[in-house]
Amino acid sequence: MNTVKNTRLSKRLKRKRAARIGSNIYATLVFIFIYIPIAMMVLFSFNDQRTNYYWNGFTLDWYEYLFTRSDLWEYLVISLIVALASVILSLIVGVLGAMGLARFEFKLKKLINNSLYIPIVVPEVVLGISMLMLFETCHFPLGLWSIILAHTTFCIPFVIIIMRGRMAGMDMSIEEASQDLGANRIVTFFRVTLPLLVPGILSSAFMAFTLSIDDVIITNFVAGPYATTLPIKILSMVKVGLKPEVNAMTTIMILVLVIGVALNSVFQALLKKRAVTSNKTYF
Amino acid sequence: MATNKGTTLAMGGRGHGLKSKAPAMATAGPVSIWMILFVMLPLIYILFISFMTRNTFGGIDYSFTVENYTEMLQPLYLKVIFKSLKMAFVTTVVCLLVGYPLAYWIASKPPKLAAKLLMLVMIPYWTSSLVRLYSLNLLAMPNGFISLALMKLNIIDKPLDILYSDGMVFAGLLVALLPFSVLPLYSSIEKMDRSLIEASKDLGANSFVTFKNITIPQTFPGIVGCIILVFIPALGMYYVPEIMGGGKVMLIGTLVKNQFLVTKNWPFGASLAILLIFITLAILWIYTRFAKLEDLEVC
Amino acid sequence: MKGMKKLVAIAMMVAMVFSFTACGGGGGSAEDNGEVNILMWSNYMADDVVAKFEDETGIKVNFSYMSTSEEAAAKITSGGGDEYDLVMPCDADLTGLINGGYLEEINLDNVPNLENLGEPYKYRKDIDPENKYAIPYLMNFVYVVYNQETCPVEIDEYKDLLDPALKGQIASVTGQRNLFPIALASLGYNPNSTDEDEIKEAYEWLKGYVPNVAGFDSDSAETMLINGVASVGFLFDGQASKGFSNMPEGTLKVAELKDPIQLGVDELVIPAGAKNKENAEAFLNFILDADNMSENLQIMMDQDGQGYACPNQAAVDKMGEDYRTQPALDIPEEMKANYFLQLDVGDAAKVYDKYWTMLMSDEQ
Repeated sequence: MNTVKNTRLSKRLKRKRAARIGSNIYATLVFIFIYIPIAMMVLFSFNDQRTNYYWNGFTLDWYEYLFTRSDLWEYLVISLIVALASVILSLIVGVLGAMGLARFEFKLKKLINNSLYIPIVVPEVVLGISMLMLFETCHFPLGLWSIILAHTTFCIPFVIIIMRGRMAGMDMSIEEASQDLGANRIVTFFRVTLPLLVPGILSSAFMAFTLSIDDVIITNFVAGPYATTLPIKILSMVKVGLKPEVNAMTTIMILVLVIGVALNSVFQALLKKRAVTSNKTYF
Repeated sequence: MATNKGTTLAMGGRGHGLKSKAPAMATAGPVSIWMILFVMLPLIYILFISFMTRNTFGGIDYSFTVENYTEMLQPLYLKVIFKSLKMAFVTTVVCLLVGYPLAYWIASKPPKLAAKLLMLVMIPYWTSSLVRLYSLNLLAMPNGFISLALMKLNIIDKPLDILYSDGMVFAGLLVALLPFSVLPLYSSIEKMDRSLIEASKDLGANSFVTFKNITIPQTFPGIVGCIILVFIPALGMYYVPEIMGGGKVMLIGTLVKNQFLVTKNWPFGASLAILLIFITLAILWIYTRFAKLEDLEVC
Repeated sequence: MKGMKKLVAIAMMVAMVFSFTACGGGGGSAEDNGEVNILMWSNYMADDVVAKFEDETGIKVNFSYMSTSEEAAAKITSGGGDEYDLVMPCDADLTGLINGGYLEEINLDNVPNLENLGEPYKYRKDIDPENKYAIPYLMNFVYVVYNQETCPVEIDEYKDLLDPALKGQIASVTGQRNLFPIALASLGYNPNSTDEDEIKEAYEWLKGYVPNVAGFDSDSAETMLINGVASVGFLFDGQASKGFSNMPEGTLKVAELKDPIQLGVDELVIPAGAKNKENAEAFLNFILDADNMSENLQIMMDQDGQGYACPNQAAVDKMGEDYRTQPALDIPEEMKANYFLQLDVGDAAKVYDKYWTMLMSDEQ
């Protein structure tokens, strides 16, 4: 009996190892797949051609162009400001909203719940035009803030849907325990509920950032003077011909991000060696 | 969750008058105001013009008609709608099949590493999707790297004819929508109780049975999130199939865009947008009938 | 560690608030008369020429960029136009904008350089007979080019594009108002026909065209020509120009068509409610000046390798040999003169749209 169990255990261990190797290979393949377009973009940032059509030889000219003559940076800054602000706003409204919609009953609940899907499914041009109409009716000036409000609007539903998935079935009895032990609602929220929600918040933030940083159509409608974002600038360049300076800038962005992630890992590993803390922080 | 809801509700009812409403107002209040102001109000305008008529010069003639709605019942437009549904469905299935194992793999890593891996999944999406799609197309050109490499290796003797093929369309869609599946899946797989899987295996269940009976039910909210977040955007999306497929396709997103920007038939475009909203709500409704997901309150 | 994070977060918030107010301040200064806000394509006007305008007049030019001209037009019709002083829609959208009352009348007393425009491009009877609303800036022909080495057929009229030998060989721009006109022209009808039977016939014609198309791409159709995917291109002259400069000399050739070709004009208009109308007029007059426009054309040609077709005859006359002999623009005069514009088709737009939807959803 014992030996049977042992062989079964070792078999399971073996299978487990095989599964681990298999899943690592699979994940690597998926990563390669989603990085193929990026690799192409990086490669073509070194292409000696005014617009990228085929590989025409190596040059660093576009990097020189990017750092000396290009005005792309100012649009990147605007895009980043818009994205960060919309992430923060949509997280605040969305996370609270997901909790409220899950726990409380109120008159408009069904309506609000259903309205969440509207910004996701309605083609962007409709949302763009209708939001522009709204801003115009309220005499709200078009500019950074109108873009941020619009982006926050289409980010909120994504945040709520992800947060809902996170909260569904989550054991909320610790919340009650916390309150039973005398913590008030607000303390409970920050000390107990929020930490439990971190992975969901992280996913939501990534999603909101992604949606905001690449939006063209809605932004195009609600933008005003002094508020052109990077994707609009890029799309507008297509008419004359996209220069590989765009690729060069993308390459640098990716490089900064990937190196940032890598450095962060190294840094944290070093820190860990020095002081072993069980403080659960993300990043 | 169902029982939980009861207790929290009971808790909410513990206070009196205004005070008992305070938590609900603090949490659901901002989102309600936001959605009413920025989604429902503009939508009322869209609903309103969907019953109007296009005037000769592409403006809106404020005279009531239901013609826009009867118009879209023509087989021509039904075909477009059906095609869009089909494409959204296939995209969702592919994204789920590719995204689930990846999300599972990421969730099995320690939290800090998982956060970094998630970030690595997302980084490509922080670059211009247009430039990314163009790069993919350049790759698929007959003198692009795929064909050149395969020819160099003597695997093929003439360039591949993959540009604007269905395969490239789905590659483009997968590349565009994968994060919409990975993120909700990750956040829900991450909280799964993995000891249950061990227990199930200890009790002699094989991997498939364990996966079917333990893993799937536990991560079901994430799967629902994934389906919603991939299917719905895919339904209205058109630029990926257009750029990757060589523009020989008519999807409902393009149709709506054309009404607003080219034909300047805003009323018809508005009615198509309303139709899209109805399709979405109907799918969610049917879904809740079958899947009994009251806890999720999807609809 | 946690304290640090909070600090960083607060610092970031503060920085953001500051940058908002800074930008808000910028937007606020639109009230004083020192600037002109222009919404147009990116890289479509030479920086040096704009700088010269700023120096001469003391008016600051502030560019915003649009992703498509249709969106710019839709933005004006939804009331967002008053944020800008000049917007660049396409001539096809003009009639709708004018009739809807979305444009400000241009005071021609402030724009004497209007006379520099070539005869066909001012006081246009089909679009703007009194030239009250729009000033043409640059323009594009939509024509056919072919690769002399790989194209299997002779092309001198649109009908040749239907030859089954060209199956999957054409790199084409897309859009109902670009494709129906060539079918109508080929059938001998008015390219801006409003007759449903004629449009239907054009649809049947296009059903023969679509299978010959390798790919529709209005942004960069030349890519397919350059990479050998297509041997024929139905595209804008700007795209053809990129094709010429990226392919070996002597491969690409503009087909000498007997049929009329389409001309698209990028117009500058002043949206109703513009805050700096006089500055906008000053800018229009400046850019219409023959020297300024020819300098503009020359700089863009040196920078981007393509000189654009320009309605400003006085400026074109000043251009050198290199501008005139560019293969993409060096086409027979009779071909240049035999053009048609995309005119507003009124209620027939719905008919076009229906047949276009049908065409695109047919199984190929």
